[in-house]
Order: sequence, then C-alpha cells, then structure tokens
Amino acid sequence: MSLATKTEERSAPGKLAWLFKGDNLFGYLMMAPAIGVLFMFFAYPLFYEVYSSFTDRTVGHAGKFIGLKNYIFLLEDPTYIKAAINTLVYVSCVQIGKFILGLGIALLLQQKLFGRGLWRALVLVPYAMPGFVAYMVWKLIYNPDVGALNIFLNQVGLIDTHIAFLSDGHYAMPAVVIATIWRGFPFWTIMFLAALQAVPKELYEAAAIDGGNAWHRFRHISLPGIRPVILIVFMLSTVSTINSFEAVWLTTGGGPADATLILPVFAYRGLVQFQIGQSAAAALSLMPVILAFVILILRKLKKD
Amino acid sequence: MYRRNLKFSIFKYSILAVVLVFVLFPLYYMVATSFRSQSSMYMNPSFLPVDLQLKNYKSALASKDFIKSLINSLTVAGVATTVAVVFSVMAAYALTILRFKGRDTLGRVIVVAFLTPGALLFIPLAAITANIGMSNSLRGLILVYLSFTVPLGTYLLIGFFKNLVGELEEAARIDGATRLQALWYILLPLIAPGLVSVAILTFTAAWNELLYSLVINISPGVRTLPVAILNLSVADETPLTLIMAYSTIAAAPVMLLYFVGQKFIVEGLQTGAVKG
Repeated sequence: MSLATKTEERSAPGKLAWLFKGDNLFGYLMMAPAIGVLFMFFAYPLFYEVYSSFTDRTVGHAGKFIGLKNYIFLLEDPTYIKAAINTLVYVSCVQIGKFILGLGIALLLQQKLFGRGLWRALVLVPYAMPGFVAYMVWKLIYNPDVGALNIFLNQVGLIDTHIAFLSDGHYAMPAVVIATIWRGFPFWTIMFLAALQAVPKELYEAAAIDGGNAWHRFRHISLPGIRPVILIVFMLSTVSTINSFEAVWLTTGGGPADATLILPVFAYRGLVQFQIGQSAAAALSLMPVILAFVILILRKLKKD
Repeated sequence: MYRRNLKFSIFKYSILAVVLVFVLFPLYYMVATSFRSQSSMYMNPSFLPVDLQLKNYKSALASKDFIKSLINSLTVAGVATTVAVVFSVMAAYALTILRFKGRDTLGRVIVVAFLTPGALLFIPLAAITANIGMSNSLRGLILVYLSFTVPLGTYLLIGFFKNLVGELEEAARIDGATRLQALWYILLPLIAPGLVSVAILTFTAAWNELLYSLVINISPGVRTLPVAILNLSVADETPLTLIMAYSTIAAAPVMLLYFVGQKFIVEGLQTGAVKG
C-alpha cells in the first residue's frame, strides 16, 4: 500500500469512519423511515407532552411554565382521584374476567369436540369486530327501553321493571366491564390454545399412568406449561386495557356521575375543554404504571 | 366408564352452547336490528328480527356523508398500512440481520413505541397536527396513524424474520447492494405469510381507531367511520337501528378480512407475543 492512500484513509472520513464499518451505514439507511416516524410521532410528542404538563398551555395559547401546579391541582381534584380509582377497578376486573374466560374457553376448545375448528374460528368474532362497533352494540343491548338484556330478563321473569344499566350507578361499571371482557378475551384464548398445544403430550400420558385426575393434570402440567404465555399475555393486555378509551366513551361517556370515568376519558374531557397542560398531566399520570409493565415485557422478551 | 364419558360430553357441549351464545349474540343482534325500523323497536320490543326491511341500508347508501366517511376510512387505513408495511420490512430486516451500532437500543425503542397506548399520546399528537396545519385532513390522520402502524408492523415482522434463522445467516453473508436483492428475492417470499398478517393487523388497527380521529378529524368532510357513526346521535335523537346498519357496514370489511386471513392473524399474534 502506498503512503498516499494511507494518509487519505486516515484523514478523509475522520470521525465518521465508524459509519462505514460493517453494516452501520446500511443499517441506518434501512432504519431511517422508521426512525423518522418514531421521532416525529413518538419521541417528540412525548417530549411535548411532558413539557406541556408543566405549563398552563391551552388550545391557541402557548402558556407559561408553572412547575408542578397541574399535578398538584389533579391530586386535589376529587374527580381525578375518582378516575384513578375507577381505572384501577376497571382494569383489574376486566383482566380477571379475561383471564378466567380466556383460559376456560381455551381449555374447552382443547377438548375433542365435533366441529372444533369452526368453534375456534367463531370464538374470534368479538376480536374481529371493530371496537367502536362492538361498544355501540353493547350500548344497545343495555338500552333500558328496547335493549335485548332488559327484554330477556323480563321474559324469563328475573325482573319486572326496566333497568337503565348504563345510567344506573350500581350497574354501569359492571356493564362496561362485561362489554370490555367480551371484546378482549379471544386474544387470551388464541394465545392459550397455542401454548396448550405446545405442552408435550408425554407429560399427560405419564400423568395418566400415575393416575392423576383432570384437575391434577391441569394444575401440575397445563398450568406450569403455559405460565410464561400467561405472563406475557397478561402484561400486553393490561397495557392495552389501560387504554380503553372507546369502551367507556362509547357506552357511558364516563357517567353516570363519573361512576365509570377512567383516566383516558378524564384526559379527553380536559382536552375538549382546551386544557392542554392539565390533560397532559392527567394522561402522563398513567405513565409510571405503563412504564413498569413495559420494562417487565422488555425483560421477558429479552429472556426468550 | 362409558356413562361417565357421555355425561362429560353433555357437560362439554352445554358449556360450548352457552359460550357460543355469549360470543355470537352481539353480532347477531347488530345484524338483526339493522333490518328493523326505529318505530317497531319501540312498539314491538324484541331481539328477534320481527320486521325485515332494507330502509336503514338504503338511507346509509344514500347518505353522502356516510359514503364519504367510508372512503375516508379506506384511504386512511389503506395508505397507513401500505406505508407501514414498507417501513416495517426495512426496519425489521435491519434489526434482525444487520449488525450496526445502537441496534439493540433501536429495537427496544420499537417495542416501547408498540406498547405505548394512544391514550398517552393523543393530546400532544392533536396539538402537533394542529400546529403544523394538518388537523382535519386525511394526510394528517395518516401521518399520525403511522405512529402505531409502523411500530406494530416492525415488532411483528421481527418475529417472522427471527424464525428464518438459517436463511438469515446466509443473507447476512452477502455483501453490498446484492443484499437488497437477497431481501427482495429470498427473504420476502419466505416471510410472505408474515406480510399478510402484518397487513391485516395494521389495516384493522387503523380502521378501528377512534381516539385520534376524534381529536384530529372532526370536520364533516374528513370524518372516518367511527366518528361518522358517533355523530349520528344528535342530542336526544338516537337512531338506534340506523346506527346498527352503519355499524354492520363498517364491521363487514374487517370481519371478512379476519375470517379469510384467520390463519395469518393467529400466526401474527402468536409470533408477536410469544416468540417476538
């Protein structure tokens, strides 16, 4: 190699030399569109939101820095506290319901059944139906005058009046929870079915020889076998359930008297009233919980 | 033993019947109601389709606003999906095959973006689209939809690419521009099922999206289906049966897509969550 080329190599790219090593440049080029999207519509909005939450920004008004006032205001606002508690209750009930229904139906569809393939496809229906459609239908089912649930309960004689499920403080939350479970459980069933199929058959055969009963097989073979899937499905589904804006907004709008008000709806109401700073703080208050789940999921995925 | 089996069978099929009624009733109810008239709902309360007529569908198809929102939804979901599939293939390819500085960090950022719910970001996204003058435009909504379609697509495709271990190593050994050819001619055909499931899942995610379109596209001309349906109820007037007809039409394309592509969707969901 001549001296000339040697100096050229050393001086030309200088600090950027690493860019041309290995796949670096090609890698960044291929990632560029995705990075662009992530920057514009993920990183920047997140930064914008965190910044806004420390200002008294409203729509059409940039606002000024007010420190933690938005957060303090929220903590002193009984409606916010109610929304936070409702979110916790709502998400917990929905997740318990989805787990029980998702696993139960997976175990049922795991059995030898006539037409099993068809049943497995039909169980996907709630998940295939768009959320906004599903919740409009559930709103009609719960309708006090003409809804199917009232008609049914009256016909079988369980009630002789009409219950306004969605505008009665006692029933509204359970009603929304049931609708959300209906829409979300098939994801759990699909995942559990696949996981159950991956459990080695020999384990069941061995248990049969040892004389274990069905409960025994479930408790000591099926359940441990699908444990990793239960965890990841639980975490993924919890993050998206915290996001259940439409389930509540389309059925009750957060009512009656805030009985079903959850944080995303609370934040949305704030935005509709042009309070960017305050509603940003409200939305961001979900962040610690979501972040905790995200970190758990990242760890889990890394292990796999 | 035989009797026990019979009992167990009866038990199994009874549970199955209850499950199917619970699972399928809302779908049936939506379609049945969509064929009824508003007045008969009140005069003859029933969840059976007691009067079959096409009035609601006729008025849906005659409504310019509804047709417009149908086209808007198709445009937004279609473009957001196409762009997302291209961007996701590039990103997932880079994240699984290429070795470059910061790859793992970028991979993690994709997962975090995929997991971040819209309820967290709708406020700044609404403000930003307004600031750049893109509120109430299909372009603005498409751009915002990329914020979830691209991470979703990339995350799922990473799973599909990872399943091709052997081919990946081979493709990684090829150098330079021929790598793009290897991606195009060797890898893409192999992950074709993955592309189908990503396309279906991103399309439905965009089609079903409500919150962003509610805070970004509210003018009559640029509404997508969910917002159009929500706007059918004016004050105390809720045209229940008409809403069900609109809903049936809105649900039909994605539900058909689900059943035609059921195999791909199940595979996509499982690849994403279990192996990803």
